[in-house]
This record gives sequence, C-alpha cells and structure tokens, in this order.
Amino acid sequence: MKRLATILLALILFVMIPGGCGKKAETMTLYTWEGMFPPEVLEGFTKETGIAINYANFDTDENMLARLSEAGGGDYDLVIADDYIIETVIAQGLAQKLDTAKLTGWGNINPVFQGQFFDPSNEYTVPYGSGVQTIVYNPAAVQKEITGYADLWDESLRDNIAVIGNYRVVNGMALKVMGESYNTEDTAVIAQAGQKMLELAPNIRLIKNDNLQDDLLSGEVGAAVMYTSQVTLAMLQNPDLKVVYPTEGVGFGIMGTFIPSKAPNAEAAHKFLDYVLRPEVSAQCFEYMGYYCTNKAAESHINEAYRSFLTLPESVTGGEMIQTVSAEAEEAHNKVWTEFRAACGN
Amino acid sequence: MSKKKNGPAWLMVLPLYLFTLVFVLGPLVYMVVLSLLRRAEVWGVTNQFTLENYKNILAPVYLKTFVESFRLAVISTGIIALIGYPFGYFMAKLQGRWKQGVMMALMIPFWTSSLIRLYGWIIVLRSGGVLDQLLMGLGLTNGPLRMLYTYPAVVIGMVYALVPFMILAVYSSAEKMDWGLVEAARDLGASAPKAFLTITFPLTLPGLLSGVILTFIPSMGLFFIADILGGNKVVLVGSVIQDQLTQARNWPFAAALSVVLMILTSAMIWLYRKVAHVKELEGLL
Repeated sequence: MKRLATILLALILFVMIPGGCGKKAETMTLYTWEGMFPPEVLEGFTKETGIAINYANFDTDENMLARLSEAGGGDYDLVIADDYIIETVIAQGLAQKLDTAKLTGWGNINPVFQGQFFDPSNEYTVPYGSGVQTIVYNPAAVQKEITGYADLWDESLRDNIAVIGNYRVVNGMALKVMGESYNTEDTAVIAQAGQKMLELAPNIRLIKNDNLQDDLLSGEVGAAVMYTSQVTLAMLQNPDLKVVYPTEGVGFGIMGTFIPSKAPNAEAAHKFLDYVLRPEVSAQCFEYMGYYCTNKAAESHINEAYRSFLTLPESVTGGEMIQTVSAEAEEAHNKVWTEFRAACGN
Repeated sequence: MSKKKNGPAWLMVLPLYLFTLVFVLGPLVYMVVLSLLRRAEVWGVTNQFTLENYKNILAPVYLKTFVESFRLAVISTGIIALIGYPFGYFMAKLQGRWKQGVMMALMIPFWTSSLIRLYGWIIVLRSGGVLDQLLMGLGLTNGPLRMLYTYPAVVIGMVYALVPFMILAVYSSAEKMDWGLVEAARDLGASAPKAFLTITFPLTLPGLLSGVILTFIPSMGLFFIADILGGNKVVLVGSVIQDQLTQARNWPFAAALSVVLMILTSAMIWLYRKVAHVKELEGLL
C-alpha cells in the first residue's frame, strides 16, 4: 500500500511539473555544444524579449546532423556548428535562408569570415567564432625556435610534442610542409604525407582533444598543436608561452549559426541572432568562449587582457579552410592516421 | 504446480524475451546489416550490398590493431592473474569481519565512475606527480620518470580496472572449496606446496579460468584506458571503431570491425567452455 502511494505521488509530481509553470511562455531551442554562451547573455535575452531559451547540447557535429535530419529540419530553432558540416546541412536542405532585414547587426560581421565555401553568398549563416590551429611552445622547454610546422620534425623535440586528435589537422601539417592543400583528393599525395608523418612520430608524446593545454602547462610536453580556445586558456595561465602561426600557412575553421529549415520559431531565432550581433553582447560571448572574434564591431569592447588572443592578426587571414573530401580521400586519411598513431606508440 | 498457473508464468517471462529481442538481437542484426552496406559519399549509407568493408579490415594497418588489442589483453590478463589469484585465494581464507572488510574495500571504488578513477591515475603518473615525488623523495630516481602516456601506464590502468573481477572469480571458487580435502592431504603426508598443487589449484582452476575470461574479453574493448593513459598512441580496435564513427563517418566499416571483434571474443568464450567444461562463469554475481 505504501509503495502504491509512493508511485502515485511520483506520477502526480511528474504530471505537475510541466503544468506548474503556468502560462506557456514563448521559447526558442538553441542547439550547439556545451559552453558556447555565458549565462548572462542567455538571461539577458530572456529578460529583454520574454523568450525563454532551451539550450540543447550535442557533442559532435556528426551527432547534430544525425539528429537534425531525423527531425527533418524541425525541433530546433537555431544551431551552431562547424563549417564543413554546415555545407552538408545546406546541401541536404536542412537550413533556411536568413532574413537579413531582421538583423540590424548584420554589418558588424567581420567580412574575413564570410563568403566561405560552406555558404559562399552568405545566405544561410552568421559566423560565430573562428579557430586557427596554432603551435604553442614553452621556450624554456624547447631548444629550437619554432616558426612553422616543419620545425616540429626537428630531432631536439623528441617525445616532446602534443597534438590534437583531429586527423585532418594533423595529417594536414605534413601536407602543408609538402606544399600541398589540406583538401587534396589525391590519395597518393595523402599516402606520401603518411610517410612524412611516420618521421614525425618519435617526437609525439601525446595525442588528445580535451584540455590539451594542461599538458603544456604542467610541462608534460614542450610544444603543442592546439585549438584556439586551448591556446587562449594556456596563454592566460602562462604568458611566457609562444604562439606560432606556422609559416606554411594556417588552417582555420569557422563556427556558423544557422536556422533549420522547419524551425518552429524562426522569428525568435532571428531576434536572438540580432541580439548576439550587438558589439557589447558579442564581446562578452567571445571572452567566454575563447575563440577568435568574428564580429568586427565587438573587437573594441573586448577586455584588453584578452583582446590580443581573440583577434586574428592581419597577417594570417589568408589561411586555408579544411573542407569535406571524398570518401576515398577520407579513407586514405584514416589509414595514415591509424598508422601514425601506432608509430607514435613504438 | 497446477497447469493453470503455467499460462501467466509464461506471460511473466514474455517481456524479458521481448526486451532481449528488441534491445540485444535488434542492434546486433542492425550492425551486421550495416557492415554489409556501402558508405555514402558524404553522410550515411547507401543500400548497395558489398563485402568491401570486410576486405578493408585485411589492410595491414587495421590487422595490426587487432594484434595490438590481443597483445595488450594478454599482457594485462597475465599480470592480473598473478596479482588476482593469490589475492582471491587468501581472501577466502580470511575470517568473518576481515573478509567483509576486504570485500568492501574491493567494492567501494565501483561507486565512482571508472573514468574519474582513471583521471586519478593521471595525477599519480604525470611528470612531477605523486609517484615521481615519492620516488624522488626516497632518492630512488633523480628526475621525473615521464610515466604518463607510455605503454606501462596503459598496462597499469588495465590491471587496475580489471583486477577486481579476477579476485572475485578466484575468491568465489576458493570459498566454495572444501578445505577438509587439503587437511586430509596434509594429514596423509603431503607437503604444503604439494597439497596446493594437487588439491587447491585444480579445485580453484575454474575460478581462475573464468577470471581470465572476465578480464581478457573486456580488455579487448577498454580502449579508453589506452586513449587516456597512453595518449592515444596505443591503437586498439575499439579506438579505430570510434574514429570511424565520430571522425571518418564510415559507419559500415565501424560495423564490420565490431562484428569481427565480437566473433573473436565469442570464440574466446567458446574456447573457455571447451577447456573448462562449464556453462556459467564463476564469480558472476
């Protein structure tokens, strides 16, 4: 009897929770990685417009695409994801064109990050942060002065380098040293890059994606190839580290915001986009995220302590973006990568 | 039991069967089917039948990952047996409260996520970490050992994660054993080592063997330990499968790798049953 009462109570509570909120407020579902917006920005938007934000997370771009295509472009009002996956999203008809008339802050966007391969005529996306793969090293722990990827092959760096676990980026270093494109479709060239990678293997101490900056800061490695957000965190804790924009050219990625084709509340999504395009709000977001600022007007609002990390130097704007390659080239990359990882362990 | 009651009893089991069918057999069939399809150029799979995925596994680079998984599993299981067997054996000989205490000490770590406990090992093994400070403090080493992100670090992680299963398996078979037999052997003049080799060891062998299975099979799949403590440099099959799913978007190949891995582990269990002549694993609670 007692158990029955407990179950009934649980059921009642369950039913009451959604009803307990009273009048149903307007909501907007935002779908992106965790930690993309500071809480003040989300709260500020709700306070101003009365639109509650439902923040849904994905962990990888691929999961986002799977979920979005299951929902037929519905369920979510605004998505932030990486450039290459947005190309696929648009090609599959899962995004809708933006109504730029509703975006008063459209002009604030830094044009360097617009007109890229995934959205050549800027119809679908607003860039939200950019990352560059850079080499960061601790001059106290490395004898050689590093200026580009080629220096990572130096023998003095034996067992002293960490790289992120993204094989397009890491294989791309070898391709760049060879003077090739990140996006080459030639499997023979990719295999050749693989041979070059095997020569790099003895220098690699560690491959990992999360919190790579910790290993550089703790002295586990002397040099690391990292994502921008990690570089920011590393530099804030140890200003003596050196950031290198490789002479071979940098690879950069852009995160883009788009509205799914059947977004239940596209109106609110436009309002949110415009809110985030405001220079002050945008500056807050970039300080929080630690990615390069894609909003020109926001740059002067960024706290001086961070500004140099969060704005891309003029000299490196000509980087090449990593794009989706054919299945055949992808498989070649994968093979090279698996071989490389195993070689690092030996 | 009258016949009348059989109907409802059968109905009671039905949900269990349905559950198994939907959540075990279903995904299994899905995986096998997926492994026989061709990947789409950018996203997802096409409906074309192909054996290409299985053929791709034969590339030396992927075969090597199977060998590597096997090698790590053998090394880990060997060390686990060396530590776990005596531990389980002596644990069974402990008296009342001590036995409960040791059992509790074995169980408590399971209350914490294994991932968190692995991060604990990072703190111990990293340069200038707990282990280094201890060794340097004792004057045994001069500089940091740089243990983290090496093969031994991976083995330590594997042994740590799996040794309780060996202990429990050996314990449960030593516990069941009739110690009177050992006493009889001793009374009849057998030396302690001889009594152990002729009585205790054969009687606890099923526990040891099931411990081997309980540690060997998971160690074929625990790739995250190799990733976290080995800095992604020890490439196991599981890690390649993960790469295929999350980065390469080649689901059919990931499925084919999984199918082969499952066949290999099933073969291990089959072999165990042949050798041990039993149907159930000891120590499975």
